[in-house]
Amino acid sequence: MASGTREVVSSGNELAALAARDAGCRFFAGYPITPSSEIMHEMSDLMPEVGGVCIQMEDEIAGVAAAIGAGMAGVRTMTATSGPGISLKAENLGLAQMAEVPLVVVNVMRGGPSTGLPTRVSQGDVRQAKNPSHGDYRSITLCAGNLGECYTEVVRAFNLADRFMQPVFVLTDETIGHMHGKAMLPTEEEVRNGIVPRKTFDGAPEDYRPYECAPDQPAVLNPMFKGYRYHFTGLHHDSKGFPTEEIETCRKLIQRLEDKVMMHRDEIELNEEFMLDDLTGEEGEVLIIAYGSVSLAAKEAIRHLRAQGIKAGLFRPITLWPSPAESIKKYTDKIKNVLCVELNIRQYTEEVERVSGRLDIQGLYKVNGRAISPYEIVNKVKEVF
Amino acid sequence: MARQIMRFTGVGGQGVLLAGEIFAAAKIKKGGYGLKTATYTSQVRGGPTVVDITLDDDEIFYPYANDGEIDFMLSVAQKSYDLFKNGVSEGGTIVVDPYLVHPTEADRKKWKIIEIPIITIAKEEVGNVITQSVVALAIANTLLKPLDKETLVSTMLSKVPAKVHEANKKAYELGEKYANEASSK
Repeated sequence: MASGTREVVSSGNELAALAARDAGCRFFAGYPITPSSEIMHEMSDLMPEVGGVCIQMEDEIAGVAAAIGAGMAGVRTMTATSGPGISLKAENLGLAQMAEVPLVVVNVMRGGPSTGLPTRVSQGDVRQAKNPSHGDYRSITLCAGNLGECYTEVVRAFNLADRFMQPVFVLTDETIGHMHGKAMLPTEEEVRNGIVPRKTFDGAPEDYRPYECAPDQPAVLNPMFKGYRYHFTGLHHDSKGFPTEEIETCRKLIQRLEDKVMMHRDEIELNEEFMLDDLTGEEGEVLIIAYGSVSLAAKEAIRHLRAQGIKAGLFRPITLWPSPAESIKKYTDKIKNVLCVELNIRQYTEEVERVSGRLDIQGLYKVNGRAISPYEIVNKVKEVF
Repeated sequence: MARQIMRFTGVGGQGVLLAGEIFAAAKIKKGGYGLKTATYTSQVRGGPTVVDITLDDDEIFYPYANDGEIDFMLSVAQKSYDLFKNGVSEGGTIVVDPYLVHPTEADRKKWKIIEIPIITIAKEEVGNVITQSVVALAIANTLLKPLDKETLVSTMLSKVPAKVHEANKKAYELGEKYANEASSK
């Protein structure tokens, strides 16, 4: 979704809540945790105004469990937390992947592991978002890189969750969640017009087979309690959801969880290319790869570098998982000097190495809870290239 | 307008965050860009807090102040002052509450240090300690002049409850008066 015409002055966390409301979310369950708490504060104001529900549960686990329940009932649903909360929610996130329940999970990242640095910025949950729980499935993870995207990526997450019938993560971080300024948003009407409701089965209830679908498509889960019955489980299951160990059924189910995402990556991929159009592959050009709040420093650094005669540009994945493999490779094939900048240690650099087939990718990493400044990036570029 | 960067520092619970939001919103109202970021610790009260405010006519990407580029700092707590003063550019202005912050002689040579009893003004002259953030807002705007008073005051009033409008208007006038007196010394 492109940036829009509606000017809103707000913080990233408040914009995430506003986006949920506008995208049709009518249920929020969570357990407040710094630095995500303002999302829940805001949802507690917004949900009752539109006939929705916001409930503070007894802990993180119950927060996601209640949200999954609402998803089973057919409601657009969200929970928000930070890394420690994702760790606690992991088991139920696996259940939502296996049973194919759509759900939006916002993770406002802070320093980790464990309780880490509660009020400080980090991008330490990028690897966790790829596989928060055990087993084979594909995470869909979006990452907001400015205030406007705290809104647009949450909207996109709801649409992707209903399209692919699984949890969708939106990663932001302490910097962007608490940053307060101007965002240009699409109008509420534009957001409403973009909503594609999840598929439902309209045939006779006795013919309903929620998990009997094409090998690259998600389950069709009708809302519970409307006459269409199915069994709900985290075990391997058959077309009606009942547990099974039948060899082919088990294989097909897990292969379908993989393929429903990976065969439709074009529907999920989204990137920003900032000042890359004049990079031709000449000696001395610099490709910076960064995402989330770090890309703000990278853009400022690119302004400085260009003022000093260094041709630099930014490739910013907005969808982190599945990674935009071909798009990254297109640039890493062309440009020799590549610098990944992250508020973690090599979590996405390793993905860039994998998709580029290169082991000479340079990195700038910081894990002390402080943001990376534009000057640190400028200095690193001058030091390593 | 060239980029203007301000930093407000105190300890958690003093309410220095609001002034930053008001500055950013007022600049945006005028058609420019404004960003506020706050950094705080996991202590609920008493931990050092810093609010960075960046105002520009052009789009701002990186939201924090870079050390050495801050034009103006205001501080109402010694430990925050000590932690964050070095971000201020040489010759920049630092306003401190003299009852709470004691700059060194070296500091006074490096920066233009102005002493205004911000908390006392709010507590005793306005009669409401919460208005200290508006006293601070007025001081910053009077000394650095990033925005016209009318826009800033109307933005401020839109962000505080109606029942405290009079108190906050008074706080602004007092902050402006003390800032003018201090800078003419």
